[in-house]
Amino acid sequence: MAADTTDPAEEFGSNRSWLYDTTPGFYLRKVLIWGTTLGLSTFILFPLYWMVVTAFKTTSEIQQIPPTVVPETPSLEGFRLVVESSLAAGGFDSFLGWDISSAIDIDVLLLIANSLKVAVGAGLIALVFGTIAAYVLSQQEFRGKNAIMSLLLASLMFPGTAIMVPEWELISTLNLFNSHLALILIYGAMTAPFVVWLMKGFFDDFPDSILDAARMDQCTPYESFRYVIAPMAVNSLIASFIFAFLLAWNELVFALTLLNQSKFTVPPGLLTFVQGFNTQWNVVAAASILVSLPVLAGLAYIQRYFVQGLTGGAIKG
Amino acid sequence: MSYADQALSSYERALGRVPDGVRVYLPILPVLALVGVFILYPIAQAIWTSFTDKHLLRPDEAEFVGVENYGEVWTNPQIHEVLWNTFVWVSVGSIAAIVIGFVLGWLLHEKLPYTSVASAIVLVPWVLPRVVGASIWKFMFGGSQGIINELLVQLGVIDDYVVMLGSTELSLWPPIVGMVWRLAPLFALLTLTSLKGIDRQLYEAARMDGATPWEQFRYVTLPMMRYNLVIGFLLMLIYNIRNFSMVWVMTRGGPGVSSSTLPVMIYRAAFVDFQVGFASALSMLLFAVLLVFSYYYIQVYDKIRGEF
Repeated sequence: MAADTTDPAEEFGSNRSWLYDTTPGFYLRKVLIWGTTLGLSTFILFPLYWMVVTAFKTTSEIQQIPPTVVPETPSLEGFRLVVESSLAAGGFDSFLGWDISSAIDIDVLLLIANSLKVAVGAGLIALVFGTIAAYVLSQQEFRGKNAIMSLLLASLMFPGTAIMVPEWELISTLNLFNSHLALILIYGAMTAPFVVWLMKGFFDDFPDSILDAARMDQCTPYESFRYVIAPMAVNSLIASFIFAFLLAWNELVFALTLLNQSKFTVPPGLLTFVQGFNTQWNVVAAASILVSLPVLAGLAYIQRYFVQGLTGGAIKG
Repeated sequence: MSYADQALSSYERALGRVPDGVRVYLPILPVLALVGVFILYPIAQAIWTSFTDKHLLRPDEAEFVGVENYGEVWTNPQIHEVLWNTFVWVSVGSIAAIVIGFVLGWLLHEKLPYTSVASAIVLVPWVLPRVVGASIWKFMFGGSQGIINELLVQLGVIDDYVVMLGSTELSLWPPIVGMVWRLAPLFALLTLTSLKGIDRQLYEAARMDGATPWEQFRYVTLPMMRYNLVIGFLLMLIYNIRNFSMVWVMTRGGPGVSSSTLPVMIYRAAFVDFQVGFASALSMLLFAVLLVFSYYYIQVYDKIRGEF
């Protein structure tokens, strides 16, 4: 701790000696705390470790009983099989002079392409419509504003399982069954309220004086949005897009009920493979890691906005 | 035409003809239309379908059957088992996730270094694709090569490998463990965020008044966090009751209906048994519960907004 600290609150924050006392319970408490930490981190992290380790095992090592905690012969067989089967499904018999014969039937690359298409589409719809609505809801006062915000918050709680049957009926009526457009629209509808809440929080905190200054400089509303607000909002906009993208990337129920196998996105595709006979778990783990990479990249970016986005800004840090 | 009008584009002039009171709603319209068509309308449609005997393969021959579907919900012993499963799932899963999440969030805030990196790592189970997380647990709980069976044998809890996912007594529990794994990080982050938001000076004041660490926790921390805890609690209930993927990936709700919760049963009724009308009646049940939860969510939310 710096000796020249003058702010008592800061000093209090960095000096934690008050957490401990000198009674014999001190060591007991320390053991309890580290024991709990160890136990909880094992619970949270071990499955992740297990996925990574499994992906690097060979098919024969997967079938060993008891399972090995550290792979004996680390190999990329799982990843190789994923890529090979995708190439085989794409109609390639050989690739760069390398013969492909795939025993498994999962076209991960196609699944990823489908998911990308749906997730980017849904993310853009949610971002554009959501931001416009959020801007108006934040800057203007009008009748029914609170009702609209509550309605959007409530609609965040429903999507998914409660409406999968009526959603299927609607999509059949609209003749959109087995099309990615249906998923883009549904995911857009599911995430737009999310974006509205997130961006409204941003616009609410946006200082009026900056907008006034822009108006003094003869900016039209569009120009002040384009040259003043947008550059400052770029972080929030990217976070909103990532939120919408992740939801679409992860969603299982609608993708499973509204698509046929030929058009599957990642979640139902992986599901069919996991539930098939004689699942090769190293391939599943390798495919899982591949489809989780975009998610982990996104997480690094949105971590700061996570709680706000999740609760509609109800919990502030 | 005045000078002011000439300065406007044709788009702006068209906008100017829209009455003032209506114009403000135009930018909100796309979002409301999306939500209305793809979320609200299906719900209304489901109310009607739940009173018919609609069949998935013959959707045009649906006939009005009154409350027959609801009567079946009331009398069918399978549905009773499903409802009981759902109750166990939601209560056990939520409480476990809350306890573990709270302790984890508190540890992250008070005891552990590198809080922001650590909380990012802790969040991974929540952001991983649902199917991926569930697949890992299915593999770990597996009956022949599962690491959890091996662990239990090593600890001496069981003598030989048990087929947990295929047993009517046990099959409900592995998905609950997986769900707690997914939800606890979320609650931990909510806890961490609300702990961070508490003014440190409050603790100093409490110490001046001679409060012990426990009293500080009881009379400063908990009251300051109360709404956030309620929000977190409601989120846990909502996420738990509407979960589908964890059960479906791990057990498909089986054997029988021993591990089916309400959403899984809806899926099975509609897309395995093709009884769309009956599935809609079940959806109404789930819908009613979610409506109550989100009503309280919005209530609490309004309270918080008043406070800040």
